[in-house]
Amino acid sequence: MRIVREWTQRLQGTLFPGRRDADLEDELRSHMEMAADDARRRGLDPDDASRAARIQAGGASQAMDALRDQRGLPWLDDLARDVSHGLRTLRRTPVFTAVALLTLALGIGANTAIFSIVNGVILRPLDYPKPEQLMYLTTEFPVLGLTRNPLSVQEYVEFRQINQSFAAVGAYRTMGGAYTTGEVNVTAGNRPLRVRSISVDAQLLNTLGVQPAQGRFFSEEETDRAGGLAPPLAILSSELWQMVFGGQPLIGQTLSVDGRPHEILGVMPPGIDVMDNRTAIWLPLGLPAAIRQDRSLHILHAIGRLKDGVTAQAAQTELNAFLENWAERTSSSGHVPTNRPSREADHTLQMQPVQDAMIGDARRSIWILQVAVGLVLLIACANLANLLMARAESRRREFAVRAALGASRSRLLRQTMTEGVMLCVAGGMLGLWLARVAVQALIRAYPTSVPRMSDIAIDLPVLFFALGVSMATGVFFGIAPVAQGRIHDLVTAFKEGGDRGASGAGRHRIRRALVVTEVALAVMLVTGASLLIRTVYNLMTVDAGFDRSRLVTFSMTLAEPYDPDTRGPAYQRLLDKLRGAPGVQGAAVMSGLPPNRSPEAIPTSIENHTASDGSPVEIIDYYQFVMGDYFETMGVPIVAGRSFEPADAVSPGRVVIVNETLANRIWKGRSPIGQRVRPNLSAAIGFGDNAWHTVIGVAKDVKQAGVEKETGTELYVSLDQLAMAAPTMNVVLRTILPPAALSRTLEQLVREVDPAVPIVRLRDMESVFAESIRRPTLLAQLLGAFAGLALLLAAVGTYGVLSYTATERRREIGIRIALGAARSSVVALVMKQGLQLTILGVVVGLAGALGLNRLIASVLFGVQPTDPTTLAAVIMTITLVAAGACWLPAWRASRLDPNVVLRAD
Amino acid sequence: MSNKAARSKAEVLQGTLDLMVLQTLHSLGPLHGYAIAARLEQVSGGALQLNMGTLYPALMRLEQRGLLRGHWGTTDTNRKARFYAVTPAGRRQLAEERHAWDRMAGIIRTLLHGEA
Repeated sequence: MRIVREWTQRLQGTLFPGRRDADLEDELRSHMEMAADDARRRGLDPDDASRAARIQAGGASQAMDALRDQRGLPWLDDLARDVSHGLRTLRRTPVFTAVALLTLALGIGANTAIFSIVNGVILRPLDYPKPEQLMYLTTEFPVLGLTRNPLSVQEYVEFRQINQSFAAVGAYRTMGGAYTTGEVNVTAGNRPLRVRSISVDAQLLNTLGVQPAQGRFFSEEETDRAGGLAPPLAILSSELWQMVFGGQPLIGQTLSVDGRPHEILGVMPPGIDVMDNRTAIWLPLGLPAAIRQDRSLHILHAIGRLKDGVTAQAAQTELNAFLENWAERTSSSGHVPTNRPSREADHTLQMQPVQDAMIGDARRSIWILQVAVGLVLLIACANLANLLMARAESRRREFAVRAALGASRSRLLRQTMTEGVMLCVAGGMLGLWLARVAVQALIRAYPTSVPRMSDIAIDLPVLFFALGVSMATGVFFGIAPVAQGRIHDLVTAFKEGGDRGASGAGRHRIRRALVVTEVALAVMLVTGASLLIRTVYNLMTVDAGFDRSRLVTFSMTLAEPYDPDTRGPAYQRLLDKLRGAPGVQGAAVMSGLPPNRSPEAIPTSIENHTASDGSPVEIIDYYQFVMGDYFETMGVPIVAGRSFEPADAVSPGRVVIVNETLANRIWKGRSPIGQRVRPNLSAAIGFGDNAWHTVIGVAKDVKQAGVEKETGTELYVSLDQLAMAAPTMNVVLRTILPPAALSRTLEQLVREVDPAVPIVRLRDMESVFAESIRRPTLLAQLLGAFAGLALLLAAVGTYGVLSYTATERRREIGIRIALGAARSSVVALVMKQGLQLTILGVVVGLAGALGLNRLIASVLFGVQPTDPTTLAAVIMTITLVAAGACWLPAWRASRLDPNVVLRAD
Repeated sequence: MSNKAARSKAEVLQGTLDLMVLQTLHSLGPLHGYAIAARLEQVSGGALQLNMGTLYPALMRLEQRGLLRGHWGTTDTNRKARFYAVTPAGRRQLAEERHAWDRMAGIIRTLLHGEA
C-alpha cells in the first residue's frame, strides 16, 4: 500500500511537481549553512568551514538530481524531455521531417491499405455461424480441363442422401441456360429495375445457418416442387429493401419480378449473400422435370455444412469412398461421378471451404501485393535509416559531449528511438488516412475486382497492424544511427572533426549495404510489375476471334408476358429499327457475350459420332444463339462453308455453324460441312424441339470465358430460323459512334418495341474486354505504382548516400582538382562508386526476383518469369535511374572550387 | 563508475536508513535534515556520515509514503529549515520494522554465535 502511495505521489510529482526545485534547493542550502556553522564553531575560519561543509554534505547538484528522480518518475520525465527535444529537433529541420513523414506515410499507408484487403478478404471469417464448417461442392472434368463446375440435380440429391459427414447440404443457381440469368427485372412503384437474383432451395438457407430478419424463408415444399415454374415467392436482401423500398413493411405484399407478381415472404439480415453473388433478391429454386432427370446437365451449385466434430478431411475421405462406386451405391447409371476420370464426360466431385472457393485466384494476387508493399516499406525504412544516420553523423559531437557528461548509451539510444517512434507515429497516422482514402477510392473504382469487397474496411485489426508497422519501423530505423556505434568515443569524434578527413569505414559499410538493399528490392518490384504489365498487354492483344473495334453492345430482357414465340418477332422488330439508325452499320443479337461467358457444357447428339467415353452424346461447351448478321457484325471470319443467310429463315432445312475447335474435335480434319448434329435446345434454352441440323459452315474460334483461357467447343444456332428467342439477349452494333452518343437513340428504339424494358450495360466492346481482364489490370496497376514508388525511393536513397559521401570527400576531391585532376575524372570517380553499388544491387535483386518466381508465375499470361526481354528492360531502367541519381552528386563534386573547399576548414 | 558505487551504497543503506530516521524522529521529536544527519553521526561515533544526496531523497521517500510530514520552521540559531515529524502511520511502521529488526537480529546472532 505504502508503495502504491509513493508511486501515486511520484506520478503526481511528475505531472504537477508539488515541491518546486526552489523549495528543495532552499532545504539543501540551509543544510549547508548549518554544516558551515558547525565547522566554524569547531574553530575553522569561514573559507575552510564552507569547504569542510561541502565535503561533509556532498555536492548540492547531485543531491538535487537524486531528489528530482525521487520526486517524479525519472523515465517518464526523460520521455517527456525526449519528446519535447525531439519535437524541437524535428522542427529545426523541416525538410528532413517532411521527407521522412512523406516516405513513412506512403510506406505505411500502402501497407495498411493492402493489409485491409488481406484482412477483409482472406483473414476475416465469413459472416455465417461457424463459417469454417461450410464446404463448397464442385464437379471437375479433368480431361476437358473444366474446374469448379456445378453438379447435376441427380448427383446433388444422391449426395445429400448418402453422405454421413454433413449436417445439411443445400443448392442454388445463379446462371444457366436462359431460365435464370442471375438478374431479374423488378418493378418498384413505376421504376423498372434490374437486380441480381439467386434461386435457392430451402436446404441452402438451413445450411448457411442464417435467419431472415423479417418474415420467413421458403419451405422445402416450395423449393422442391417438381415441374413447371418456381412458385412466385421472393425474399429481399436488406440492402434492396432499404434502398429501393425505404425500409417500409412489405411482408405479404406483391412485387413484380420479370413481369410476374411475386409474394414477398421475408427480408434477409444485412450483409448476407452467397458466394459473392451480390444477391438483391432470393427466389425459390424451381426445376422442370426434364432438368431434374438429365444427369448430364450440371446446373446446381451445392454448399454443405459439416456436422460438429467432423473435419473437412474426414468428409473428403468419405466423398472419395463414394466416388469408388457411386453408381452401385445410388443405383444410378450413365453420367455419374467417378474417381478415375479418363474420358471427356468423366468427372469427380470435390469440396473446398466456402471461403477459399470465394477468394479463389484472388488470394495469390492479394499476397503478391502484400509482399510488394512490404518491400516498398523496407526501402522506405532503408532510406529513413540512411537519413537518420546522416543526421546522427552531424550530431556526433552532441552525442559525444552528452556521453562524456555521463549520459549512458542506453539513454542516448532511447532518445534517438523516441525521435524515430515520433516520426513513425505521425507518419503512421498520415498513412492510415491515406490508406482510408485509397481503399475507398479502390472500392469505388473497382467494385467487383476483388472478392468480398464489401468486407474490406479499416477496422480494429487493421488499426493494430498500422500501429505495429509504425512502431516497428520507428524502432528499426531509430536503432540504425546508434548501431553504427562509437558514440562514447569523445576523442575520436572531435579528432575526426565532423566532415574533415576520412571517417569510419564501418558507417560506410552500413550505408553501402543500404544502397545495395534498396536497389535490389527495387529490382524485384520493377521486375514483378513489368511482368504483370506484359501480362496485361498480352491479354489485351489476344486474338479473341472477332473485330472488337467500333462495336457497341447492350443487354435487355423480354420477361413475362413474352413467351419464346413472341420474343423472336420482338427482337426482330428491334433489329430492323437498329439497322436503320444513323451511324449503325450492322446489328445482331446473341445469347452469350464473349469473352465473359460461363461454360454451359450441353450434351449434344452428333450423327455418326460416339463420344470418346462411348456415350452417344458429346459435351459441347457453348451454344451461341444468334439473330441477324451475327458473323458480319461481329467480324468473325467464316473459315469454311458459309454464314447464315436470310433465306435460311424460311427454308425448312435446319442449319448450324460450328467453331474450329468443335470441327477439329469431332470431324478431325474431315470437312464438317453437310454433317448433322442435334442441338439440345430444351437443355440449352428451354424451348424448341431437338431436331437434326446440318452444319453449313465453320467459324473462326471466338474466346468465350476469358481471353486467357483455351477456346471451348461452340455451336451456333440461328434464332432467325427458330423464330424464337431467350428472354435475355445481348444486342451488338457495328457503328462509328461511341455508346454515349448512341444511348438516346437506342433507348428510343427499345421503347418503341416495349416501353417497360430497360437497356442494361450499354458499352463498347473495348470496355467488355477491359472488364474481362480487370483483375490482372488492377494487379498490374497497383504493382506498377508500388514499383514506381520503390524506384523513386531507391533513386533518392542512392542519391542521398552518394551526395553524402561526396561531401565527406570534398577535401580530397578539392586536392585532386587543385593538383590538376580533370573534372571528368572526378565525375567518373564518384559515379564509379555509385554504379558499383547499383550493379551489386541489380545482381542481388535479380536473384531475389528469380526466387519469387513461384509466387508470381501463376498470375502471368504469355510471358515467363525469366523472360529475357523483360529482365533486360528492368536492368536498363534501374541502371539508367541509378546513373541519374549518381550523376548529380558526381557533377556537383566536379564543380567544387578547390580554393573554397580547402580554405573552409 | 563513481555514480554506480554511490547508488549501490545507497541501496544497501536504504532499508536501515528509513528505520534509523524514523527512530531518531520518534525519540527526539521533529528535527530538520541536518540535525538528523548530525544525530546519526554522533550515535555511530562518526562512522555514519550521510551526504545530502542520500539523506534528502530518503526523507522525500518517507514523506511520499506518508510516514513523515515536513514543514518549514526556524531553528534555535534563527535559520529557516524544514522540520520532519513522524505521522501516526510512521509510528506504526516504526513499531513493525523495529519488531522485524529485533527478530532478524536475534536470528543472525543465534546463527553467528551458536547461542541456543
